[in-house]
Amino acid sequence: MGSNNDSTVTKKKASSRKPKGLSNLAKREERLALRLLLPALLIIALIAFYPLAQVFYTSFTDRVFASGQETNFIGFDNYRRLLSVHVTTLDPVLDEATGEIMIDPDTGKEVYERPLDVLPREPSRFREVNQFSLFGNRYVIGATDPSFIQSVSNTVVFTVVSVFLELALGLAIALVVNSKFRFRGSMRAAMLVPWAVITVVSARMWEWMLAPSRVGMFNALFDWMGAIDSPIAFLAAGTYQLPAMIAVDVWKTTPFMALLLLAGLQTMPEDIFEAAEIDGAGKIRQFVTITLPLLKPAMAVALIFRTLDALRVFDIFQVMLGQAQYSMASYNYFQLIGNRAMGLASAIGVIIFILIFGFAIAYIKMLGVDRNE
Amino acid sequence: MLKTKWMFCLVLILALALVAVVGCDAPEEEVDEPDEPEEVEEPEEAVDDVVITVAAGAVGMELELTRDLAEMYMAENEGVTVEVLDTPDMVEDRLGLYLQFFEAGSSEVDVFQIDVIWPGDLSEHFIDLNQYGAAEVADDHFPAIIENNTVDGELVGIPWFTDAGLLYYRTDLLEKYDLDPPETWDDLEEAAQIIQDGERAENPDFWGFVWQGRAYEGLTCDALEWIASNDGGTIISPEGVITINNPNAIEIVDQAAGWVGTISPEGVTTMAEEESRAVWHAGNAAFMRNWPYAYATSQEEDSAVKDLFDVSPLPAGKAGSGAATLGGWQLAVSKYSENPEVAADVALFMASREGQKYRAVEGTFNPTIMDLYEDEEVLEAAPFFGSLYDVFINAVARPSTATAPQYAAVSELFYNAVYSVLLGEATAADAFEELELDLMDLTGFDAE
Repeated sequence: MGSNNDSTVTKKKASSRKPKGLSNLAKREERLALRLLLPALLIIALIAFYPLAQVFYTSFTDRVFASGQETNFIGFDNYRRLLSVHVTTLDPVLDEATGEIMIDPDTGKEVYERPLDVLPREPSRFREVNQFSLFGNRYVIGATDPSFIQSVSNTVVFTVVSVFLELALGLAIALVVNSKFRFRGSMRAAMLVPWAVITVVSARMWEWMLAPSRVGMFNALFDWMGAIDSPIAFLAAGTYQLPAMIAVDVWKTTPFMALLLLAGLQTMPEDIFEAAEIDGAGKIRQFVTITLPLLKPAMAVALIFRTLDALRVFDIFQVMLGQAQYSMASYNYFQLIGNRAMGLASAIGVIIFILIFGFAIAYIKMLGVDRNE
Repeated sequence: MLKTKWMFCLVLILALALVAVVGCDAPEEEVDEPDEPEEVEEPEEAVDDVVITVAAGAVGMELELTRDLAEMYMAENEGVTVEVLDTPDMVEDRLGLYLQFFEAGSSEVDVFQIDVIWPGDLSEHFIDLNQYGAAEVADDHFPAIIENNTVDGELVGIPWFTDAGLLYYRTDLLEKYDLDPPETWDDLEEAAQIIQDGERAENPDFWGFVWQGRAYEGLTCDALEWIASNDGGTIISPEGVITINNPNAIEIVDQAAGWVGTISPEGVTTMAEEESRAVWHAGNAAFMRNWPYAYATSQEEDSAVKDLFDVSPLPAGKAGSGAATLGGWQLAVSKYSENPEVAADVALFMASREGQKYRAVEGTFNPTIMDLYEDEEVLEAAPFFGSLYDVFINAVARPSTATAPQYAAVSELFYNAVYSVLLGEATAADAFEELELDLMDLTGFDAE
């Protein structure tokens, strides 16, 4: 609070002085500052804005990757293809004889129209992404590029769940290794091992552990416990794909989260806790009212890092699922390399960029990282 | 005073700009680096020393055989160093790697091993081998493959080995249960079930039939074999008509979906060639669909099925005879190579009679040179080359020519449609009705 007051005071001073015109010295200093900033700005322009602008430009064309084919400007077509979504109701199918809703004899559920017959086909065809029921009605979500919409939803679910789990587990681990015990140093080092493993290697490792026969650790374990009749194909069936990805990511990056939080914990002065103890605050009270608020900046940094990282997730999806299920980045890769549609891939890149930008802004606003508290 | 600061800023900007420029150039410098250490070691030869890099596959014994051929070439040609670059097993990944070299116009790789489905798509990046001496040997190879590799009159790749899907079966187990090698898919289903039920008592990891069910190019090959053998066409006909949505194709794909979890493991939907071969290699399968390379690896010392198996054509459906998807790889020389003449010479050596014979004898890679199928040493190493000669010359091509340059997208739609049927997410009828519309949108072709 105190520092906040100080800064407003200095701001006031500065603004009250401004109308009178700056002193010569101040002017010179300002110019020097600009000049000193210039190299940095130049480099940022060169290495960040130039490639970004290039991607923006390419996203409006139909450029083909690794080809001398002529490139045409096609406006927003790539974006239209990626983002067109259409939601419509599915009517139940009536039995012609009785006029009642038909029931599937196998599943005992009501039969609805096929999305294929209901979704619009002009100007381009919408394909089914998903179905859901709301207030007794059945709806279908269609998209012109269902793989992309699916990849966005995969990535968002992956990000939210994995980052939440990493935060919870990372905090617990950080608190443990922050307390004093024997072998604390080696414990901290050992904790970092999963983070040190190259992601592609750890993805391969997990692929083997999740192997759909008793070669795989998980299937061998479940089989030994008698929990399953036949081995589960974790990476084939839709139900287990995302949970498997989340498990790998949590295993791998929880140490990183713990490390960042540990750094935050170590900056906390002992005496506050001593004072709280004397005032009669219990351990839980101390954690909620002292540790958590003081940890907020470190937590914010860790969350931003992890969220932005998770939104860009590529390696584990690519290695373990290939073309069976995409993340945004692995779909981008498929469109660029597999399909050689560089224009479309660039549009995907721009969308990922905007999405990540949005998340970053939201975090900064929500957690107040920009204020110098 | 002010002047000094200006100067300081200017120097700083220049210095940083220089760093940036040097930074941009760095990758090119890396390319040249491998030469330098050699120059230090052998100063006399350094002047002539040409390094040719061959990007080659590593499935089964591929890599070591390519290295052997590189050694042979180097023994005969002083001053040339042939390096072999290991590339990913999965076709999609390998293409991705190659495209990055092409986009950069990189001279890092001189000779590329390319798939039978690529010549049309990638021809602009390769030299015409006819002008480097391939014209004289082209007639020795299967004419269909030479035609496949000829784009606008230019020979973009010299055929290296051909491939066709085969059925591997365990002779000992067929004998034990008193069964014949299956001739139809129904026979296969029945035999696989009988053997699996019998073997499970001792070996809980045993399965009847393994194949390639992962969502990738390999599934396109497998599914095309089922469909073609059931008289269901080849997805898109050579004339550019979409034929996939027909009752025969639907019937056989539904039948194949029934194998998952019964005679084939649930996990067959995560298997590529090497994953299914691992199950077979350990003696945990009665039947396997795979390419000819698996013959040599199955005869290795550590194989549980050594001398206990044989190969036959794939089973038939309604068509009356089985169908095998045409695979195979060619060697192409990059347009960006710094020594195209030497590179072409290396490629032609590797694909020569001597090179193909070596690979056929050591690794059962099918030659593309016709009279090698009558060579005694080759037939001794791979007896099935003779008996299955018809399978190899009648193999069914994927619709890569008709759909170029969109074959990759066509194949992705197709294998994902089949994959959804295998997982039980859709019936083949629904999946192919939708696939037909998708293919119409993508290619602009008409449906049957």
